[in-house]
Amino acid sequence: MNRRLSQTMLHAVLIAILGLTLMPLLFVINNSLRSNSELNHSFFGLPRRTFAELFEGYAYAWDVLRPYMLNTVFVCLATVVGVVLIGSVSAYVFSKCRFRGRKSLFMAVLAFMMIPGVLTLVPSFLWVKQLGLLNSHWVLILPYMAGGQIFAIFLFKSFFDGLPGELFESARMDGAGHFRLYWSLVLPLSKSVIAVVAIVNILGTWNNFLWPFITNSDAKYHVVSSGLYLMGQSTVAANYSTMFAAYVLAAIPLLVLFLYATKPFMAGVTSGAFKA
Amino acid sequence: MSRLRKSGERAAIYAMLAPTFGLLAVFSLVPFLWAFATSFYDYEVGGESTFVGLANYGEYLTDPTLASSFGNLLFLTVFGILIVMTAPLIIAKTIFSLKSERARYVYRVLFLLPIVVPGVATLMIWQGMIYGDTGFLNEVLRLAGRDDLTRGWLSDPNTVLWAIVFIGFPFAGGINILIYYAGLANISDSVHEAAELDGARGFGKFLRIDVPLVMSQIKLLTILTVIGTVQGFEGLFILTKGGPGFKTMVPGLWMYMNAFSFQRMGYACAIGVILFLLILALTILNMRYFRSSEELTAEAA
Repeated sequence: MNRRLSQTMLHAVLIAILGLTLMPLLFVINNSLRSNSELNHSFFGLPRRTFAELFEGYAYAWDVLRPYMLNTVFVCLATVVGVVLIGSVSAYVFSKCRFRGRKSLFMAVLAFMMIPGVLTLVPSFLWVKQLGLLNSHWVLILPYMAGGQIFAIFLFKSFFDGLPGELFESARMDGAGHFRLYWSLVLPLSKSVIAVVAIVNILGTWNNFLWPFITNSDAKYHVVSSGLYLMGQSTVAANYSTMFAAYVLAAIPLLVLFLYATKPFMAGVTSGAFKA
Repeated sequence: MSRLRKSGERAAIYAMLAPTFGLLAVFSLVPFLWAFATSFYDYEVGGESTFVGLANYGEYLTDPTLASSFGNLLFLTVFGILIVMTAPLIIAKTIFSLKSERARYVYRVLFLLPIVVPGVATLMIWQGMIYGDTGFLNEVLRLAGRDDLTRGWLSDPNTVLWAIVFIGFPFAGGINILIYYAGLANISDSVHEAAELDGARGFGKFLRIDVPLVMSQIKLLTILTVIGTVQGFEGLFILTKGGPGFKTMVPGLWMYMNAFSFQRMGYACAIGVILFLLILALTILNMRYFRSSEELTAEAA
């Protein structure tokens, strides 16, 4: 077969699959701009509204969703800062300090990866309830940090292991303490891996549904996922246009992150971080 | 002096590790141990807890949902494995076969794009917009004049399981493609050249050369799919709550309902322990018997 023709066919196949993949999202965006009476009239069709009316659904959806979005952003930021700090410090110790028990302590950290969430969901709930953490931001942030740091330590350590040891030895000879080494040597060299850890972590936090759903019954602490679900259970659900707008709004922060950090994200996935 | 410095160094090291181990102890180790302990008790929130030994485990063996929920789990797992081993790999290979480096990059980015939609939103979009009474599927059928075929896809016992596994069709969004793509990119050109000299072409070459050399990725995604399905009842909770009847019940969801609908914490923990042991056994089996591409290459050499 002609080479150019076969390349064109590959493009055609990929574009068709891509179209099917993105189709539900395109319908959501389109339908979020239509009024409820249009939507009730027919599923298919383009928005037929004046510019001022186009975003009516969005205004209402944003009113409902705004506190959930702010909660999620706060929880995401607190978690990611904690995970990056704690994870990188521990990984620095495991990678660059020599002390007895180093290997077994590192293995102990990794062993926690083997504990599945389905086993600890119920006892974790009973435990945070006893600690009095229900209905707070901490009930999300602290367990997320505890779980998220494990993979972060793993990623940071394999990155730090690749940094030349002489760099650290000569800095130590010059009298630099751990804090100086970490702050002025490790951190500046690790920007790319920090980006990867941060993105993996934010994706996880943003998508978490069940834990926030069971630990925060107070509407004040709902996050986007649990908030969307409860919107779907409430009277708002009959208001299709609003629901569609809410889905779009819920995707925008991650879309911005994605556009801003496409390269580190893809580099992270393809760097061998996800390999058996 | 040096002894003092040494003990100072030790203290610094332990101080730096303290947050990690503190968090793990409080939020991972305690719940882990508590899960086993609670599974031996009859415990309702606010009520007395009584030690019942293995009674919770015994009860689960005769639980009315046992057979159907593990049957559903098997169905979902097998389907999930078949999907993750085929669709993303074939798409990754198709992208990789493009000549233009720029086009390869653009496709990878675009296929990753759906990842920005929260998982809950994706499920609700499929639930309402695709499978709903006035959703995409039913509207297409009405336009085609086949009103007789319209139904509530997630409430009809005959279609519900298939409707669930087809969520996300054509299974192309997300990071799986990137994982396979990385594996394909790691295969050296000389392997392909040698295979072509041997007369390998097209799909035969794909099966004989590419597939064995991305076995690490296949292995990883398979075990992640299995573990994810055994644990993952979130989707079913949002979509069907295990219904209609127990048609889409899975063990994890039954655990959740026992804990948070019936307040039977001890029983729920026993189900959790059983699922943990199942996951552990599958992980060990996978490590033992599913050979990685490194091992396959070593054998071939």
